Amino acid sequence: MPEIFIDGQRYEFEEGDDRGVLQFILDQGKEVPFFCYHPAMSAPANCRQCFVKAGTPVKDRETGEFELDENGERKIRWFPKMQTSCSLGMQDGMVVKTQESDEDVARAQKDTMELILINHPLDCPICDQAGECPLQIQTYKYGPEGSRFEVKKQHKPKRVELGPRVTLDAERCINCTRCVRFTDEISESHQLTIVQRGDKNYPIAAPGREFNDPYSLNTVDICPVGALTSTDFRFKARVWEMNQTPSIDITGGKGTNVDLWTRDNLIMRITPRFNGEVNDHWMPDAGREAYKRFNENRISRPAIKLDGDNQSKTSWNNAIETFAETLESHKPEDVLVIGSPHASVEENFALMKVFNLWGVNNFKFAPHIEEGAGDGFLITDDQAPNTSGVKLLGYEESNDLSSEVSDAEIVIMLSDELIDRGTLSKEDLKGKFSILLSTNECETAAVVDLVIPVTCIAEHAASYVNVEGRIQRSFPAKETKYKDRSLDLEMNQGRLDRFGTNFDNWVTEENKVDCVPAWEIMNQLADRMGLEVKFGQSREIMEEIAGSNPAFENVSYERMDNEMGINLNTSNKQEATA
Amino acid sequence: MASDWKSFEPVLIPDIPNLDKIDNYIKNGGYKALEKVVKGSDWKPGDVVNEVKAANIRGRGGAGFNAGLKWSFMPPADGGPRYLACNGDESEPGTFKDRKIFEYNPHLFIEGALIAAYAMEITTIYVYIRGEYYSWIKMMEKALQDARDKGFIGKNLFGTDYSVEFEVTGGAGAYICGEETSMLESLEGKRGYPRVKPPFPAQKGLWGRPTTINNIETLANVPGVINNGSDWFKSIGPESHPGPVLYGISGHVNRPGVYELPAGMPVMDLINEVAQGIRGGKKLKALIPGGSSTPVLRADQLEGVSMDSDSLREAGSMMGTAGMIVMDEDTDMVDALWRISHFYHHESCGQCTPCREGTGWLEKILLKIKNGEGEIRDLDLLLDLTTQMEGRTICALADAAAWPVRHTINRFRDEFEARCKKSVHAVA
Repeated sequence: MPEIFIDGQRYEFEEGDDRGVLQFILDQGKEVPFFCYHPAMSAPANCRQCFVKAGTPVKDRETGEFELDENGERKIRWFPKMQTSCSLGMQDGMVVKTQESDEDVARAQKDTMELILINHPLDCPICDQAGECPLQIQTYKYGPEGSRFEVKKQHKPKRVELGPRVTLDAERCINCTRCVRFTDEISESHQLTIVQRGDKNYPIAAPGREFNDPYSLNTVDICPVGALTSTDFRFKARVWEMNQTPSIDITGGKGTNVDLWTRDNLIMRITPRFNGEVNDHWMPDAGREAYKRFNENRISRPAIKLDGDNQSKTSWNNAIETFAETLESHKPEDVLVIGSPHASVEENFALMKVFNLWGVNNFKFAPHIEEGAGDGFLITDDQAPNTSGVKLLGYEESNDLSSEVSDAEIVIMLSDELIDRGTLSKEDLKGKFSILLSTNECETAAVVDLVIPVTCIAEHAASYVNVEGRIQRSFPAKETKYKDRSLDLEMNQGRLDRFGTNFDNWVTEENKVDCVPAWEIMNQLADRMGLEVKFGQSREIMEEIAGSNPAFENVSYERMDNEMGINLNTSNKQEATA
Repeated sequence: MASDWKSFEPVLIPDIPNLDKIDNYIKNGGYKALEKVVKGSDWKPGDVVNEVKAANIRGRGGAGFNAGLKWSFMPPADGGPRYLACNGDESEPGTFKDRKIFEYNPHLFIEGALIAAYAMEITTIYVYIRGEYYSWIKMMEKALQDARDKGFIGKNLFGTDYSVEFEVTGGAGAYICGEETSMLESLEGKRGYPRVKPPFPAQKGLWGRPTTINNIETLANVPGVINNGSDWFKSIGPESHPGPVLYGISGHVNRPGVYELPAGMPVMDLINEVAQGIRGGKKLKALIPGGSSTPVLRADQLEGVSMDSDSLREAGSMMGTAGMIVMDEDTDMVDALWRISHFYHHESCGQCTPCREGTGWLEKILLKIKNGEGEIRDLDLLLDLTTQMEGRTICALADAAAWPVRHTINRFRDEFEARCKKSVHAVA
């Protein structure tokens, strides 16, 4: 097997491994500073930060043996210049020296860092990137102690709105061209290019054109400085004030892995989380706007229609009592339960289990598909995150929900804005008793007889099955009225030592929504109706599903966490062959 | 050779009127070499490569690499497209020789390029001419059309099955597009950014296909080699760097201009006899021998130096493009260096950090010194910066910017120190 020596340590790599030396070093858990390189894109080797010394062993032309020096060590032919490790291919026997073992390399990296910084504004105190800025971090680690630059900095355009979502500060730009390469190689919109020459250059869209790529905000994530910022998020929060919680994008069927960034119980932004099997490093812009749904327009406390068309807020006891009484005054055959591709596997399961026990067998759902909306990349025709999951649980797909509704007397709906998206009309629900478990205010919630607020993906741990049959789960990122995050074991806590410190500012009570997870509502309803059901945490619900539904065999939160999601199709196939 | 240059008969720009007219060119033996290799059965493509290799035409674009050897790096033809890209972007300050060929003898270059294409089994030739040479681009278009009309370009040359196309592309005013790989980018319609090598153009050049890039003057030497043989070529000038060279002499001389003379000309002969001495009877102070990026030489370093790569290397400089900038005793070296640095700052493409930031920094410090606001430590900072830039970038522009600074300061240090502030102020 070919070998490579990095800082005197021997490593092996596969024949034909086309990783560059930099990527190989990073994959070993070692570090070489870099800016322009990105593992998902071509290596332009333009930042000149990842310098290493490299050489190859000298072979005797006739025998093919390595030539040895007087100490019996292999003779090394060193490249005459420092090499950028990002663009340097690995060769058998190659010897590489990084900044850790070679002073010249450390010096060269420091030299480049000094040059990168001379025209950089160094406005970190007001820069959104501060705290998560590769330039800042690597300057601390590898940069010079001060600057010898005593002349005037180059001035360039500031606050340039490249498009509807991205704002450019050209002075901060270090011309790594990651954004340009993103639009060339990943989103393929080719909307950005570098203009001007030398220290005047910066990225921009063609004259008269906007940078309105549906993936434009990814350039903000990969920008190694604060040059590209999100127009929506800029100046809203400092990185170190927020908690980062893994989650899933709910605006499409792809199941894009994301992080939710929380401050004082509000989601401030959503960024993509790497998952090579699903979304790589990227996410569509639309998914990032979903954070507003988690904070704004939430239904807090149940509401009930007492007389006429007007709803009024009511107590939880009264809501559950009304729910139970309504059911008891009807027969199970009168009830239609509509599951939701917008809700999680656990919520849909809890709903189905309780009503099934009571005798209902009419479980339907309406897929939320917009033909032609998909782009073959991360945007799908499917507008819901869990269509496959609802199907696998046994909800029957219905393309004519209004005729289903007309046959029922009680319609129970789980978080799905069916009237808003035109699947049902207000008239369809006339004369029925309609109940909606919902996260947000919407037209549908406004017309039903009973509205029960439930937790959204940012508030509970729950699983979603994407269009490819991959089950992935969320973590609670914000508290509800009844959830104390220090007591909720599913809750991602960021830094444990934050609790009780001055920096932990989760204090604004209004930011907590008065809602509970759907399975807890089912617990209360079952309890009131004398049904033998008791759901524990969502983790236990998934264990129950895995134990009872063959499609979910062997699925657990632990496996989902360890394997970054489980493909239900292939894991079942493996079962079959095993 | 040094003494017999006076009897040298120019071959690249001979003293024949209206040579740019194709009929006139043909009348004077033009396109014979092309016919000889394409039609003649004793000239296989490989034979042409070997003949040119033997002639040791050192690339006239500045690097001085054996042209025939470069041709031999092309992989065997695989039926796919391959390209010859002719570099007429000459933009280095002090260099204006290819212009002379475009203007006075365009068909010599065209013939040379066609022979090169035949030798490497190439069917498409591009000539890239800098955008500022607008009228020469137009003249080249006309010359190519004339050659096409006569059947020297197009399908089935001389009734053989060899066909070739030849196109002109104009640059848009960027020095960096004279760097061979950014010229390829520019030809592809992209921004002129040098490419990371490897892969080299012979493996992956224009549109990812095998490509050879040659300077205009280099190619213009090819027909002579074919007509008269490599031995004839090697008999002109020194053996290590043979052939006729277009010397572009500018600066403080009485008769600046482009002169065709053998390689290896004694520098002092070029200045004093060919260019007829320093203007106003002044004394020579310094010479930049091969375009602004080549290190400047003091007058006392020019003793016995001749214009070939070996002699110039020994003296501490380079042959470059043989664009000689002559400076008289009144020249302000600080000012001259600042002007050169200004050029590289303006022309850095901005791709690599050391060049993008370094060229600007160099210029700004030099401006400070020029304005009498510099300090001695600024000189050391300048020298330090040159090491931070040299060899640290994708292409050689950073080197080209760093060398003049390093060598001008080292060779004229007292002049720079005299311009700095007298007192050294304390560093807090």
